[in-house]
Amino acid sequence: MDTILVRRKWEPYLWLLPSLILMTVFVVFPILIVFKLSFSEISRAGTVGGFVGLNNFKAAVQDKAFGTVMKNTAVWVVSVVGISTLLGFIIAMALNSEFRGRKIARSIVVFPWATSLVIQASAWNYIIKYEYGNLNNVLLNLGILKNAVNWRASYQIEFAWECGVGIFVTIPFVTFCVLAGLQSIDAAYYEAATVDGAGFWKKLRHVTLPLVRPSLTVSTVLNIIYVFNSFPIVYTITKGAPANKTDTMVTLLYMRAFYDQQKGPATAMSVIGFVILCIVAGVYMIMSMRGEEDL
Amino acid sequence: MKKQSPDNSARSRRAGLILSLSALALILLLLFLPLMRASTTVYSKKSANTFVGDEKYLAVRAEVEAAAAAYGDVTITEDVTLREKSDGTQSSMVAFSAAVARGLNAPRLLKSGLPSGLLPPALLLCAALCLLLSLARPRWAQSLGVGFGILSLLCVPAFAMLTTRVFARTIGAVLSGARQADISAYLSAADRLLYDGQAGENIRSLLGGMQFRYTPWLWALLPACFALLCGALLIMNARLGSALGRGALYAFIIALCVIILYPYYVMFITGLRTPAETNDMYFLHMLPVRWMWSNFRDIIDRGVLRYLGNSLLLSLGATGVSLACGIPAAYAMARMRFRGKKAFLGFVIMSQMFAPVVLLVGISQLMNFLRLNDTVVGLMLINAAFNQAFAIWLLRGTFVSISSEMEQAACIDGCTTFGALVRVLLPMAAPGIVTTLIFVFINAWNEYTISTVLISTASKKPITVGITQFSSFNMIEWHYLFASALLATIPVVILFLCIEKHLVAGLTSGGVKG
Repeated sequence: MDTILVRRKWEPYLWLLPSLILMTVFVVFPILIVFKLSFSEISRAGTVGGFVGLNNFKAAVQDKAFGTVMKNTAVWVVSVVGISTLLGFIIAMALNSEFRGRKIARSIVVFPWATSLVIQASAWNYIIKYEYGNLNNVLLNLGILKNAVNWRASYQIEFAWECGVGIFVTIPFVTFCVLAGLQSIDAAYYEAATVDGAGFWKKLRHVTLPLVRPSLTVSTVLNIIYVFNSFPIVYTITKGAPANKTDTMVTLLYMRAFYDQQKGPATAMSVIGFVILCIVAGVYMIMSMRGEEDL
Repeated sequence: MKKQSPDNSARSRRAGLILSLSALALILLLLFLPLMRASTTVYSKKSANTFVGDEKYLAVRAEVEAAAAAYGDVTITEDVTLREKSDGTQSSMVAFSAAVARGLNAPRLLKSGLPSGLLPPALLLCAALCLLLSLARPRWAQSLGVGFGILSLLCVPAFAMLTTRVFARTIGAVLSGARQADISAYLSAADRLLYDGQAGENIRSLLGGMQFRYTPWLWALLPACFALLCGALLIMNARLGSALGRGALYAFIIALCVIILYPYYVMFITGLRTPAETNDMYFLHMLPVRWMWSNFRDIIDRGVLRYLGNSLLLSLGATGVSLACGIPAAYAMARMRFRGKKAFLGFVIMSQMFAPVVLLVGISQLMNFLRLNDTVVGLMLINAAFNQAFAIWLLRGTFVSISSEMEQAACIDGCTTFGALVRVLLPMAAPGIVTTLIFVFINAWNEYTISTVLISTASKKPITVGITQFSSFNMIEWHYLFASALLATIPVVILFLCIEKHLVAGLTSGGVKG
C-alpha cells in the first residue's frame, strides 16, 4: 500500500479525531445509554431509577409476543437475505453480459435503492389492498384475473408480502455488490476455462463463484445487519397487527418503547438483538473469510 | 466465440426462417380467435315464491327468453335462493338474467370502426415486415426488421389498453357524467359490434352494465411475437444457441424492469387521481379518468414544500459534516501507518451493527441531554454519524486506488500533509468524493425512523415523516400521499442515477480490493 511520510507520531490520530468524536458522541454514547438502561428501572413516565439486575431482560423474554417475534425475525432475515442474494446474483450475471440497453437496465435496477423505504412500503401497501388496490386493478384490466383476489387474506400472507417488499428493496444492493465483483474478474480466466472446454455451469462454479465470494460476503454481512434492523416496511404495511403476529424484533421494541411506555424491556430487547446480530454476522464473517487476508 | 461452418450457418438460418414463419402463421391464426369477450346483462328478473320447474318458473323463464330474443345468441342464468321460513315450510326465489356474450376477434373489431380495431392488423403488418427485413442483406434493413419485431411485441399490450380506453374510459366516463364528449360514433360502433345493432336507444344502459374481459388468446400473442423476434435474430446472426439465449436474456431483463418500475407507475397514476378514484372498489381504469395536476398544488398548500426544505437542509448538513469528518479519517486510513488502525476499522464496522432503530431509546435520551431534541441540527448530526462508516469505506477505497507519488512529490517540495491532501489528492479523487457525497445525501434524505421519534413539531419534519400526515388512522389520502412521494423520490432517483456508474467502481475499490 502506498504510504506518505508522517513527521510526528501522533499525527494520524489527529486526522482521525473529528470522525472519532462524531461517532463517539452519537453512536457510542447511545450504545452505552441503552446498555445502562437495560439494567435500570425505568418508570412509565421515563424517569430512570436504580440498578435492577436482569429484571428488564426477564420482562422482555416473558413478553407474550416475544416468541412469535423471534420466529418472525428469523424468517424475515433468512428469507430476505437469502432470496435477495440469490436473485441479486442472477440479475448481476444478466446485467454483466453485453446487450443493447444495458445502461438503461442498470439504471432501472438501481431505482428501489434510491427510494425511501417508507415510500416503497406505502406504495406496496396500496398495491395489495383488496378493495381498491392496484394489483387487482391491473390484473383485472389485463384479463389475467376473473375476480378480485384478496391479496392479504391472513396475517401469514401479509407477512410474506412484507418479506417480498424487503427482497424487492434489497436486490439492488446485492446486484451492485456482485456486479462490482464480476467486473473485477479478469477475462483471461474465462478464456482459459473456455480453452479447457468448461461449459457455462463449470465456469460459474470454478471461476465466477470463488472470485465473487469476497463481494458476496461483504454484501451478505451488511444485508444481515440492515435487514435485521429494517423498520419501515413492517411498520408501514401492518404495524405488527394483528396482535404483534407480524412484528419483527425492531418494530416490537419500537412499539414497546414509544407506544406502551415500557422503555426498560425495550432496551433489554435492543441488547438481545445486538448480541444475536453480533453472533450471526460474526459467525458468517469468520466462516466465509477463513483463509482470506482482507485488508 | 467459435466460427461456425457455412453449412451449419445455413442450417440455423433455415431454422430461423421456419421459426419466424410458424410464429407468423400462429399470429395470423390467433387474430381470428376471440381475443376478448364482452358480456352484457340485457334483461334480468327476480321471481319470488318460485320453485324450479313449477308453473310460475316456466312463465317467467319464457318472458325472459322473449325479452332477450332480439339479441340473438343469449345465455340465461338462474340464481336460486332457498330459505327456511319460521313455520318450517320452504320459500324459494329465482333470479333470471339473460346475458349476451360476444367474443371479439380482429376482423370484427376492424369492421366495427372502433380505433383499437386497427391494432391487430398493425401487429400483423409489423410482424411480416420484421420477417421480410431480416431476410434482407443490408445491415440497416436488418436492424429495422428487429425494430418492427419489437413493435409487434408492443402491439399486444397497446391493443389491450387502447380497447379498454375506448370502452371503459371514454364511453364509461361520458356515461357516468365525468366527462363531456361526443361519443355517438363510438356508441353506434359498439352497438353494431356487441349487439348486432339491436340495442338502439338502450345502448347507454347496456354499455353501462357491460363486463369486458380479455381471453388468454390475447396473451398467447406475446410469446408468438417473441418467437418471431427470436426467429428474425436467428436469420440474421445464424447462431442457434446464442439467438435463443439472447432472446431469453432480453425477456428476463424486460420482465425485471417492468416489475421494478411497477410501484413507480402506481405512485404516478395514483398521485394524479381524484380521491374518489383511489378508493373506488369497482374502479377499473388503468389510467386516471382525469389527470389531477392540481393535487400538487393542494399538497404544497399543506406544507409539503416546507418538509422538502427541511429534508434538503438536513441532508446537506449531514453530508457536510460527514465528509468533513470522513475525508481526514479516510486519508489517514489510506496513506498513513499507525498503531490501532485495525482497531479503528473494527470500531467503524461495529458502528454499522447498530442501526439507529435499535438505539432509539438511547439516542432520544442523549438528544434530551444535549438539548438537541426536536431540532433539525440534531437529526443532521445523527445522520452524519451513522453514515460515517460508509463514507470512510468509500473514500478510503478511492484514495487507495490513486497512487501516492504526486503527494510524496508535493511533500518533498515542502507542502504540508494537509496541503498535499487539499491541493493534490482531493482534485484527483473528485469522482469518488462526489459519489460519497451523493450517497450520504440520499441516505439522509430517505431516513425515516429517527426523524419520527426525534421530531414532534410539524414545521420541522422532513419529507419522509411529513408524508405520513396524509395517512391518519382511519383514512389515507392516497392521492396526496403518492403525489408528495413523487416529489420526494424523483430528485434522489436522478441523483442516484448520476453516481450509478461510479458506485460499482467505489464498491470494488473500497470493499474488495482493499
